[in-house]
Amino acid sequence: MSILRLEHVYKSFGKLDVIKDLSFSVSEHAVFGFIGPNGAGKTTTMKMILGFLKPDAGEIYVCNEKVIYGNTKTNRYIGYLPDVPEFYGYMRPWEYLQLCGEISGLSSAKIKDKTDELLHIVGLDGVNRKIRGFSRGMKQRLGIAQALLNDPILLICDEPTSALDPIGRKEVLDVLSVVRDKTTVVFSTHILSDVERICDSIGVLYQGKVVMQGKLSELKNTYRQESVLIEVEDKSQVSLLEKEIGKLNAVSQIDVFENSLKVTLNQMDLINNAVLELVIKHNINLKKYEVLEPTLENLFMELVQ
Amino acid sequence: MEKLIEYLPFLIPIVLLELLLMVIALVHIFKHENYRFGTRWLWIIIVVFIQIVGPIIYLTIGRSED
Amino acid sequence: MRGFFAFTKKEFREHFRTYRIIILAAVFFIFGMFSPLRAKMLPEIFSSLDMQGILINIPEPTYLDAYSQFFKNMTQIGLIVVLLVFSGMITNELTKGTLVIILSKGLPRHTVILSKYLVAVILWTISYAAAAVLNHVYTVYLFNQVSGEGVLFSLFCLWLFGVFMLAVIILASTITQGNYGGLLLSAGILILLMVLNMFPKCQRFNPVSLAANNAGLIANTVSVSDLVPTVWITVGLTALGILLSIFIFQEKQL
Ligand SMILES: Nc1ncnc2c1ncn2[C@@H]1O[C@H](COP(=O)(O)OP(=O)(O)O)[C@@H](O)[C@H]1O
Ligand SMILES: [Mg+2]
Repeated sequence: MSILRLEHVYKSFGKLDVIKDLSFSVSEHAVFGFIGPNGAGKTTTMKMILGFLKPDAGEIYVCNEKVIYGNTKTNRYIGYLPDVPEFYGYMRPWEYLQLCGEISGLSSAKIKDKTDELLHIVGLDGVNRKIRGFSRGMKQRLGIAQALLNDPILLICDEPTSALDPIGRKEVLDVLSVVRDKTTVVFSTHILSDVERICDSIGVLYQGKVVMQGKLSELKNTYRQESVLIEVEDKSQVSLLEKEIGKLNAVSQIDVFENSLKVTLNQMDLINNAVLELVIKHNINLKKYEVLEPTLENLFMELVQ
Repeated sequence: MEKLIEYLPFLIPIVLLELLLMVIALVHIFKHENYRFGTRWLWIIIVVFIQIVGPIIYLTIGRSED
Repeated sequence: MRGFFAFTKKEFREHFRTYRIIILAAVFFIFGMFSPLRAKMLPEIFSSLDMQGILINIPEPTYLDAYSQFFKNMTQIGLIVVLLVFSGMITNELTKGTLVIILSKGLPRHTVILSKYLVAVILWTISYAAAAVLNHVYTVYLFNQVSGEGVLFSLFCLWLFGVFMLAVIILASTITQGNYGGLLLSAGILILLMVLNMFPKCQRFNPVSLAANNAGLIANTVSVSDLVPTVWITVGLTALGILLSIFIFQEKQL
């Protein structure tokens, strides 16, 4: 069953078309990485899912219920962590969670239990200061606690790790991996290592569309190819190198750029030395020689080039 | 003048309330570095010299959110 | 309904912790106590000054002077204070974005408007009533005589104007953007209404009349029946303002 489904969604701000015919779905218990460069429209998409922004066209379904703009009904299934969570600075963390719990319609006993549990999970138990003195990381963690309070079916986190240092990032990702058993998680990011760490499926948002979607493991296999990037000092040597490398038989493709070559190979081990020999033989000044890993990063770069 | 002294018991609570507002505002000013606009000295002058309204303007639109 | 109560509780807590309640209480207590006192003391202050032979003839003040002093303070500084205190209640949340998480919990948007308006009206009513009672008690004590006619209706008119003004503030804050948009637009609307009130033809339809004739009502220079239509118009405009706010807020992109 799909927990979240977008069908042909469009959204523009004035003349800027941010989302163009966006369709994707997220199935139950997935940890879905919503990837895209800055300004791709990740936040915009999430706000439309929550009914905070009005799509120009298209439909959005949460748990098979249609999202109606301005009407917050489907939000009862959702826990949302905004990109910059803002709280009431004059409240203490437990007071804030209590307010959220009451609005969600939880019983007082449940609120008490969940508050204690979540403050412990995010490491804010015993913090009795007012929220106004919180650091960015503390706010992010309180934001996660707040989002998990009503045991949401769908947890939406907007770049939960972007503003954090490596330790804070790990903490947040750990919390997300803990809750994956119970909820479906959609989180946006432009940090691909985070995605590789916890996501099982991804969608890549680029130029207003999801240009790639699927299980992370499958995608990596489909796009698996081994290649090296050769960057030279002297531009004039690029064509010479291209010609010579083209003669090698394990080479499947050569892409030529300004002062570099991307060579895609069939057999990495055999050919690597052969290429390097050519470089020495023709006395080429190397600037960079990089064996490109079949990472999500490459995959991503390939898609957005 | 005697009459004025006769009214003193009525005037004292009024003065106390004014002072209360002023003290609340001053404490807030000294506890914070940043204001929505204006500087510390400007706000101190406004709060001390404009009765009632001075502290109110500071506390409602002058002080920073957090 | 739980959401409404929870948000309303939060509103009271916010008004308290952001000094708004203490400001209202202090100011309205001051006005309640100070107005009759000032009326009583004015001639004595003058007589205590050395006027260098200039003769100033000030008639003995009465309870009417106390009340007109009260209304003068209330309609001038009092309403400005109300404007300052309440103009932030929606604007602050919108500029900071604190409503995003709250609404993501499924709280209906109209609840936000209704709850905020209700709490503002309650606070205005309590502080206004406290000021009015204090003023009345002091006036009776200092002048030994108050004729009841018109007093209650006059007090009611100013209260209703306050209720109307709160609706204007809510509407202005939902329409505008930025830190001071709500404050400036509310002030603009009120100034416009005051200017319109200079034309006698408009007065019947103008809520400002409810805050302009209070002393007259007590002195019996204005009759109650003159203002009854204005009362109904103000009630209607207030309801309209709140409905419009709900509608606009429903459509607002957050
Ligand atoms: N309220 C708005 N008005 C105008 N433009 C906006 C608004 N919100 C976002 N945008 C623009 O839409 C694009 C996508 O923004 P956003 O969804 O925040 O991207 P992301 O979250 O992927 O970084 C950006 O170019 C941004 O400038
Ligand atoms: Mg974003």
